[in-house]
Amino acid sequence: MTEIKHYAFIFDATRCIDCRACMVACSVENNIAMNKTRIWVAGVGVTGEFPNLERSSMVYHCMHCTEPDCLSACPVGAYTKRPDGPVLYDPSKCIGCRYCMNACPFGVPHFDYDKGLIDGAFIDKCTMCPQRIDNGQEPACVATCPTDALVFGEREDLLKEAHARIAAHPDRYIDHVYGETENGGTSYLILSHVPFSELGLPPLNSTPVKDVSEAVMGVTIPFALTWGAVLTGVSVGVHEYNKRKEAAGKTLGKAEADGKTEETK
Amino acid sequence: MKIQIAIDQRLRLKPLVVVLLSLTGIAFVVAMIRYANGIGAISDLSNSYPWGFWISFDLFTGVAISSGAFLMAAAVYIFELKEFRPLLRPSVLTAFLGYLMVAIALLVDLGHPERIWYMMIHWNHTSVLLEIGICVMSYLTVLAIEFAPVVFEGLKWQRFAHFIHRFIMPFVILGVVLSTLHQSSLGSLLLIQPTKLNPLWWTPILPILFFISAISIGLSMVILESSLSSRYFKRGLETHLLDKLARTIPVVLAIYVLVKFGDLARAGNLKYLFTSGTMSTLFWTEMIIGAFIPMIMFSFKRVRQSENGLLIGAVISLAGMILNRFNVSWFAVHHPDPLTYLPTFMGNVRYLPTLPEIAVSAGIFSAGILAFGLAAKYLPVFESENREAHTSG
Repeated sequence: MTEIKHYAFIFDATRCIDCRACMVACSVENNIAMNKTRIWVAGVGVTGEFPNLERSSMVYHCMHCTEPDCLSACPVGAYTKRPDGPVLYDPSKCIGCRYCMNACPFGVPHFDYDKGLIDGAFIDKCTMCPQRIDNGQEPACVATCPTDALVFGEREDLLKEAHARIAAHPDRYIDHVYGETENGGTSYLILSHVPFSELGLPPLNSTPVKDVSEAVMGVTIPFALTWGAVLTGVSVGVHEYNKRKEAAGKTLGKAEADGKTEETK
Repeated sequence: MKIQIAIDQRLRLKPLVVVLLSLTGIAFVVAMIRYANGIGAISDLSNSYPWGFWISFDLFTGVAISSGAFLMAAAVYIFELKEFRPLLRPSVLTAFLGYLMVAIALLVDLGHPERIWYMMIHWNHTSVLLEIGICVMSYLTVLAIEFAPVVFEGLKWQRFAHFIHRFIMPFVILGVVLSTLHQSSLGSLLLIQPTKLNPLWWTPILPILFFISAISIGLSMVILESSLSSRYFKRGLETHLLDKLARTIPVVLAIYVLVKFGDLARAGNLKYLFTSGTMSTLFWTEMIIGAFIPMIMFSFKRVRQSENGLLIGAVISLAGMILNRFNVSWFAVHHPDPLTYLPTFMGNVRYLPTLPEIAVSAGIFSAGILAFGLAAKYLPVFESENREAHTSG
């Protein structure tokens, strides 16, 4: 098989201990400034009633959608989707419109609000560490995770693995792999013991949010051409009609035509 | 309003000019701070709220209130309703300045204003924003061509004015097509946010609703600017023409209301009409002010034939429809709750436009009004109805 591997992550919320080592590893690997980050761990806090208390946390970074909405939205095509998974952003094309931030249903891309024209304000987001993948390594966050809450591999294998974990401990997990179908499928698969909404994940259909907007864009050019042709036809028609009416008005008597033509005389 | 007319024009205009100039100056200074220190230095925009007041006011409202020009151009040139000619030039000027202000405002809002021309070389054909960018740039050019005869007449270069006028038809048709496209595409811009925009507003037919309401906004704007300019430049008001425009507004709005509620029923979203709290209130405010009240007002002949009635009706209708643009692009957009997963340094939980942010928009708007005043003073923008202008061939 020479088929291209499609990489993905598993994040298992039951294994995450909120140590935030992934945040440090990511910033070191990608040389991220101290006041920024591409990955963040959100503690949901203690939930439930004593003695059945639960605490959960969620590691959040780019979902690397199979059909990325940011890529669809970007006017200048600064986003690309690598066939093996990573959704990448090219700062050399970016005009800073921030439409990708509106488009992303997960709120992943973030912007340098603190940079002026000289420093250059850009979008930043997780890249899935392509520099490491290409060397046969795992992304930095995965490599550093002490509890294997993050696992990296081929998406198909990981989906099997995720379902196997649920099957092995149906009491521990919610019977759903978030990202398997959400938004057309993502490369970040999430297993959880608490409802996904509590982890801050939006409920999404299996069709990407970009679908309607792309369908509308698809009919734009045909519509524009048709509309232009119709308007040309109408203007020619109206002109001919007025000309004939004017000619008829002259033979029948001026009274009626006067109202229409007095300004052109 | 009538009382002011008695006051000497110079005395009345001067403070206004000073205020407008100062606002423009303040906006310039604020923009410089933004270019030096970043968007965050002057605005409350954040990773949770990437778009705010600038997009709602400068882009959505600015484009919408510039829609009078394509309606008047279509009426005069395509449908040969030559009686509307006196309204054409002022609305083309309004639109030209309007789009210019949109472009200038975007230069403040864009992270890389110096790269705005990248839209002409890097095309991502699935992006609604690209279509809007291309349309706005092209339409600005079309409007410049449509307005050029006025400038040439002002310079007494009648031959150039005649020359442009001979080839005006293709540009008029192009202008109407471009306007149809980007007025509706502003609605399409929100189609990619089905999970963020409240279901009272998100619908696949947003572009159609935007186009219908743009017609109503354009007609109201023509009425408004005619009323205002007749007051400030002490010229007669073309009440019988405005009457005809005002008469079509209830028809347009009736279609809008039918399509809007029909679509809510189709999508099964009628249940949100009274159950969404603030969102329901915003929706009904927008509907009542933007559609129902002007529909009723402009159905009465007495309102349509009174100067004050026309002005008040137009202002109410505009207020409602502008609220619609704010709702769709800001108030009804719910970003995923940042508290749940964003570290606090990454974004504000709430967004409230800052004073400098509003100052930028106010300054650009003031500059537009000043430019309109200058153009109206030195160029033959307002043609008297009886006089035959050279370009009206």
